[in-house]
Amino acid sequence: MIDFLAAIGRGTARWLARVGALARFGFEAFSSLPSLPGAGRRVAARVLLNQLRFTALEAVGLIVLLSTVLSYLTISSAIAQLDKVGASELIGQLMVVVIVRELGPLLTALAIVGRSGTAITAELATNTVLGEVRALEGMGIDPFHYLVLPRLFGCVVSVCTLMILFDVIAIGGGYLAAGVIGGMSGARYFSIVLAQLTTLDVVLTAIKGLIFGLVIGLIPSYEGLSVRRGPTEIPQAVIRGTVGSIAVIFVLAAIIVAVLRA
Amino acid sequence: MTAPLVFDGIPLGQIRRSTLAGPPTGIDIATTLTLTVAARETVAVVGDEQSGVDLLGGLALGLETAPSGHVFTLGTEVAHLERRARLAFRRKLGYLPAGEGLMQNLTLRENIRLPLRFGSDFRPKEIEGRVDVILAQLRLSRVGDLRPAQATAEDRRRTALGRALAFDPELVILEDPFDGITERAAGELLEAARGGETAEGARRTVFLTGTDLPAVLRRRVDRQIRLARGQMETIR
Repeated sequence: MIDFLAAIGRGTARWLARVGALARFGFEAFSSLPSLPGAGRRVAARVLLNQLRFTALEAVGLIVLLSTVLSYLTISSAIAQLDKVGASELIGQLMVVVIVRELGPLLTALAIVGRSGTAITAELATNTVLGEVRALEGMGIDPFHYLVLPRLFGCVVSVCTLMILFDVIAIGGGYLAAGVIGGMSGARYFSIVLAQLTTLDVVLTAIKGLIFGLVIGLIPSYEGLSVRRGPTEIPQAVIRGTVGSIAVIFVLAAIIVAVLRA
Repeated sequence: MTAPLVFDGIPLGQIRRSTLAGPPTGIDIATTLTLTVAARETVAVVGDEQSGVDLLGGLALGLETAPSGHVFTLGTEVAHLERRARLAFRRKLGYLPAGEGLMQNLTLRENIRLPLRFGSDFRPKEIEGRVDVILAQLRLSRVGDLRPAQATAEDRRRTALGRALAFDPELVILEDPFDGITERAAGELLEAARGGETAEGARRTVFLTGTDLPAVLRRRVDRQIRLARGQMETIR
């Protein structure tokens, strides 16, 4: 029994140490921002633009596909059932509460973790293993400035933008299902959906974009830079970065819902 | 005049290598290092992987911290500086890390340009001019647009040295600089690091570490020291 409790204690202590190290890493990243030199800003801005291209621009196709298919499947399934009980008006609520408010941000974040979170961990782990991070520090270049901050801000901006895109496309995709399958007119569909959409939904999407973007920028960066022994550790770091980001995003999504309900 | 580099009672076995994220690591040896490198002197410290010789460059730059003793680099204890000041201080030094540490997503030219663009207020034209001079000096002009993975080991090493010399530093720290390159290339690199000769000796102070020194270079360094089995032995 004591061994069992000790094992739980050890596991919890390890987990807490990891959370603490991650929090310190995040704090150090943000506190390094004011010391970014003027000349360094131009270099970091170029890295940021690259990150935006990889994370946002190149993911547009995937987000459009996911969003269209999800809203089409949800609305086409629901409208057939709702029509039977004369409650087709409820598709507005379904669209806003289920897709725009919950599934949209969650699926967008998961897609970005899969595309860019993994790439960030693998890239930074490779930088570390090849001695590039040590070389940067030795040259007086802060790795937070050159490697971490551009990726962090790139993820925040990309996730926010793609979440908004997901929601807009989802509303359009929903019309495809409601119009084609349910025979609903465009004017009626959009009036039902837009009547349910509030400013809070837009604000909430932006807040989720900010929080999930920070998670996707921070956890993969931390895991990538924590590699020490060699190339064989890179896949493990990628797994830790991906699984950690997904778990944290789901927990935070649940916390946000709980806070709003309260 | 203050010696550019002083190691005073550094217990190499007690040093834990720091990382940006994750716990530090260390080695198990019992060497206490005391060494002074005079201005314009070229000193080579050699030893195997377990001798702790690979810690010396990091100690001089404040990348590693000793639990006791002192390391003075250009009269400053770098490890005791606040993080931001430590990074700024390192721009006064030239550093060629073991394995070169070139950014793989940048060309050789961009690698040399990086410290200048990040750490100086030079105008882009001045930076390009300086990079062109370094590329020409190190005979890299024709391969400047290659990425490190496309270049030869010798050109990568020349690039790493070019990057270390970008700010024309007073003190140059080289880790394993001649590993895997020809003796002729090693001689050229050492001369470039020393920055030419003046009436008082070399223009720069050079501190280099590695597993061994090519035979042809043993006569060209002012002092060679071997770390082995917890002992320091001056070979020359």
